Amino acid sequence: MLYDLRHSDLRVRWLVTLLLATLGTSYLFGAWMVGLYAGFSPRKVAETYGPSGEMMPMQMPPDTTVVTERPVSMAEMSEEQHHVDRDLLVQDTHVHMPMYAVIAAALSVIVLGLNISRSSGLALIALLFAAPWLDFAGMWLTKLASPRFAIVTLAGGWAMALGYTIVAVVATYQMWRRKS
Amino acid sequence: MKTLVLGALTAALLHITPTVILVKRQDAVARLLPGADKFAARELHLSSADSRRLHDAVGWEPPDGVVMFYIGKHQDQVTGALIFMRVDCQHGPIELAIGYDPRGTIRGVEVTKATVEMKPWIVEALGAGLTNEYRGSAVAQAPRGAEKVKPRIGAMPGYMAELIDKGVMHANAAYRLFYR
Repeated sequence: MLYDLRHSDLRVRWLVTLLLATLGTSYLFGAWMVGLYAGFSPRKVAETYGPSGEMMPMQMPPDTTVVTERPVSMAEMSEEQHHVDRDLLVQDTHVHMPMYAVIAAALSVIVLGLNISRSSGLALIALLFAAPWLDFAGMWLTKLASPRFAIVTLAGGWAMALGYTIVAVVATYQMWRRKS
Repeated sequence: MKTLVLGALTAALLHITPTVILVKRQDAVARLLPGADKFAARELHLSSADSRRLHDAVGWEPPDGVVMFYIGKHQDQVTGALIFMRVDCQHGPIELAIGYDPRGTIRGVEVTKATVEMKPWIVEALGAGLTNEYRGSAVAQAPRGAEKVKPRIGAMPGYMAELIDKGVMHANAAYRLFYR
């Protein structure tokens, strides 16, 4: 164990608690945002990150340009269509991956101070870093290979939530439980 | 720990700021398709050849190969067409709405979305009359809004004006090549 959160200085425990609370709050808003813009079902995620338009299953460009026309209401036109195309996904990946890495690293530093077995620590750190990889791998595979890979993005999101929850619960318990 | 903090700071600084709505889509539609009471969405899935044609014309093609026009109608007469166009830059995406009258000239341009960081620059460019410069211009004509307003505005607003010119140019090419 590199350090022990249970016996650490009050200031360290306070810092970790506030960090966890802040990250937890941002995750709640993150989940809200996902609900607003992408959704929690594989179909919704595939619509957001897959090929655009009504002809979603068509991956390759058609031989000749295909034109479809349908009536729409003002409400449909004004509706926020949050579709992430390739260029936007490049930008999203570039911007979010470093931030995800920093968050995973911060949580991993907390894991290093937990009183858990070496293998559990390794597994937890692996989970914390696997989550963003799964998240973005799912988005890219949904875009480039098949909308079925939306499930990988969902798995990444749930892995992120699971990793955070384990760290937050164990750390809070070990730092603040009344010592006999 | 120092590296971690520096990493977090760098990631925070590099993060693209959140999106802000400058003009609601509904208001943009009302301004750019005045008098229309029925609407249709014309969706074009471009063939490789047509994507290449667009790329040869303006150095751009839609990343997912889809161009969407919204058509306004009144008593079954077309009153105009509208296209939403996104322009990406390192500060984030800008969304424009470009409206065309039935003769095929630009009726107006609205900047519907930008990011928090870009908003003041765009507001300054718009305040200098950027979008007035597009009104009435033909689709074959290269947009020169930035050229006109740049002497009166700062460097970053000038850069935003160039990006808006670029978005209008992309929309004009799509309209010219595929709308009719």
